[in-house]
Formats: sequence, structure tokens, C-alpha cells
Amino acid sequence: MAEEPESALQLPPSIAAEGEGPTEVSPETATPEPPSSAAVSPGTEEPAGDTKKKIDILLKAVGDTPIMKTKKWAVERTRTIQGLIDFIKKFLKLVASEQLFIYVNQSFAPSPDQEVGTLYECFGSDGKLVLHYCKSQAWG
Amino acid sequence: MTDDKDVLRDVWFGRIPTCFTLYQDEITEREAEPYYLLLPRVSYLTLVTDKVKKHFEKVMRQEDISEIWFEYEGTPLKWHYPIGLLFDLLASSSALPWNITVHFKSFPEKDLLHCPSKDVIEAHFMSCVKEADALKHKSQVINEMQKKDHKQLWMGLQNDRFDQFWAINRKLMEYPAEENGFRYIPFRIYQTTTERPFIRQLFRPVATDDQLHTLGDLLKEVCPSAVAPEDGEKKNQVRIHGIEPVLETPLQWLREHLSHPDNFLHIRIIPQPAD
Repeated sequence: MAEEPESALQLPPSIAAEGEGPTEVSPETATPEPPSSAAVSPGTEEPAGDTKKKIDILLKAVGDTPIMKTKKWAVERTRTIQGLIDFIKKFLKLVASEQLFIYVNQSFAPSPDQEVGTLYECFGSDGKLVLHYCKSQAWG
Repeated sequence: MTDDKDVLRDVWFGRIPTCFTLYQDEITEREAEPYYLLLPRVSYLTLVTDKVKKHFEKVMRQEDISEIWFEYEGTPLKWHYPIGLLFDLLASSSALPWNITVHFKSFPEKDLLHCPSKDVIEAHFMSCVKEADALKHKSQVINEMQKKDHKQLWMGLQNDRFDQFWAINRKLMEYPAEENGFRYIPFRIYQTTTERPFIRQLFRPVATDDQLHTLGDLLKEVCPSAVAPEDGEKKNQVRIHGIEPVLETPLQWLREHLSHPDNFLHIRIIPQPAD
């Protein structure tokens, strides 16, 4: 499959938790699942339109963690850090028991239930949120 | 800041009288008595409930015990939220003591994070402090500290040592004399309404410029429904540490005095209870 590092690929609406898929994990062929409740925004008091938009995330590997072929992703604002961790682990074919840590600003690890949208609002720059991921605790 | 130090102490030493009862479906070898404890508002459930765990484990068999978790009126309690915040969100209008149910089975994976050890709590706490400093000082202050200073913050919280904690935390509360305050105020607003999921979290920086922004300014910007009285009637209650601050309070003051040890201002908004 042709690699397009510049385009922001779409993260599938939710992550399928079942076993191994095809050898080449590709977002376009991921089994569609009913969207998780986090991805469906209630849209009552939220600022109009914001919760439906996606944000751009740039993933950077730390240390000897495998580097993802595609680094730039468009992710729903309501996706949680845990959801992102699960996705990266699946993409990198890590086993469930292996740990993965995600860092913002190369300084802190947000709690798994935080939404990427809120992190983007505070720590995003140049239209994207840069996240470092690592199999071990890089910044304590 | 030093002249309002009493406020810092009051916040630190706030306690909630709590009664822990074992869930009725847990298998026990004999009757489990409830356990009473004063919980520190500023700490975390899994950090301060070792005695609770030991008390109930005494009447259970080893094979029936797995990870402990807590629930109030059917809602699993997120241990990574400060205890005072959980109480203010869920139980502030109920009579004391706060009645919490203890479980050792059927860990609710979807609602709670696991807490296998104190290290996990420490990591979470330090991450919050770092995140707050990223907003306040672009992480400069926290990064300039030595590892032992970070450790002292954690040990101060864990061992309930106010002076030990604040010896380091005061550095995180300072700002250059030429500025009027921090770059951004780290805060989180929590709301509960019947239609929405249990807690919603809003998280946006508010810039402090020459004018001191107030709590009212923050809420108007970020959560207008909390303050706009359409027909003059107050719709919602705004609480921090269980008290309702005047909306004209400057944010910078709130920030310095009513933050939690994790350096965040946790603000909770609930509908005005019908009397």
C-alpha cells in the first residue's frame, strides 16, 4: 500500500478489541464497530460545531519504541488517551500486556480518561497536538 | 500570599466523615462490620484506605479478594479524582457520614482505572502537577526542581505533612514580579446533569492580562449556563472544596489558595437543589 506520510489518516471510529487482523494493519480495512459512547457527542451545551471536528495528532516514538509508519492522524476530539494507546498498540502489534505511555510536551502523561480534544486546546500548536509514545516511562 | 496562609491550612486539613460498608454480595466468612474513617478532601481514595481494605479482608477468604473498588449509590468512584471533589459532586446534599460501598469483585473496567500499587497514584499525581506547571510556567519551575523535590511533594501528600508539601509547592505558586499572575490557570470544571454522562470535563486555559480575571469571568467564558441567570433565578451551584465562592473572587487568588495539591482548581457545578 502506498505510503502517504503527509496526509492525515482517519482513525477508525472505535477500536475493535478482537484478535489479530490482516498482517498489514490498515485503518481503511478495520472492522467498523458501533461508535463508542465517547465518540458520539451529546451536543447540548458544547460550543457549536467544535465537538464534531477532528484534531490533528502527530505521534513521535521515544527510545527503542517502534516507529509508526504513519505519524499524522486525524482524531475525534472525544477520543480518550486510553483509546489512542489501544490503537497504537494494535498498530504496532504490541501484545496487550505490554505497556505504552503517552506524553504531552515531553513532560507529563495525561490520565487515560482524558480526551485528546481538551489536551489539544491547551497544548496544541501549529494546528496539531504532538504526542510522544514510549514502551517505558520516559519522563517519570 | 502568606497572609492568607490559614486558607491553605483549612483546605489541606478538610475532612469528610465516611462510613465504609461491604457490598452485600461479597462472600464473607463472618459478618462484616462497617468501618468509619475521616477522609482527607485533598487526597485520593486508594491512598488512604489501606485500613479499610485490611478490615474487610479479615472476614473474607483470600480467593474471594481481588482489586478493591468503591461505589456510592451505584456510581463507581474514580480513585484518580480528589476525594473532596467526588464528595462534592455526588454526595454533598446527603446527610453525613458519606456512605461508601466496598467491592472486591467485578471491577468495572469501563468506569475505573486500575490501581495496582501506590506507584500508580504517585505517577498520576505527579503528572497532574507537571501538567499544571506546563500551563502556569511552561514547565520551567517543575523541570528545574530536582527529583528529590518531586518526591517531597508526593511524600508530603501521602503522609499528610502540610509543611513538607508546601515547602516545595510554594515554588509552583510563585510567578515573576513583573507579571500579574500565571500564564494560564489550570482548572477543571465538572458538571452533573441527568441527561449527560456522569462527569464532563472542560479544560481550557484562561489568559490573565492586566485585569485580574474573576471566577465569574471564567465561568461566563467557559460554561455560560452556570452563571447566566435568565430570569434572575440561580440555576446552578458553583463549588470549590465544598464551599461556594463569591463570583467576584479573583482567579489568581483562587488559584493560589484553593488549588488541590495536584495544582489544579477543581470546580464543580451542580443544579441548584430544590428546597
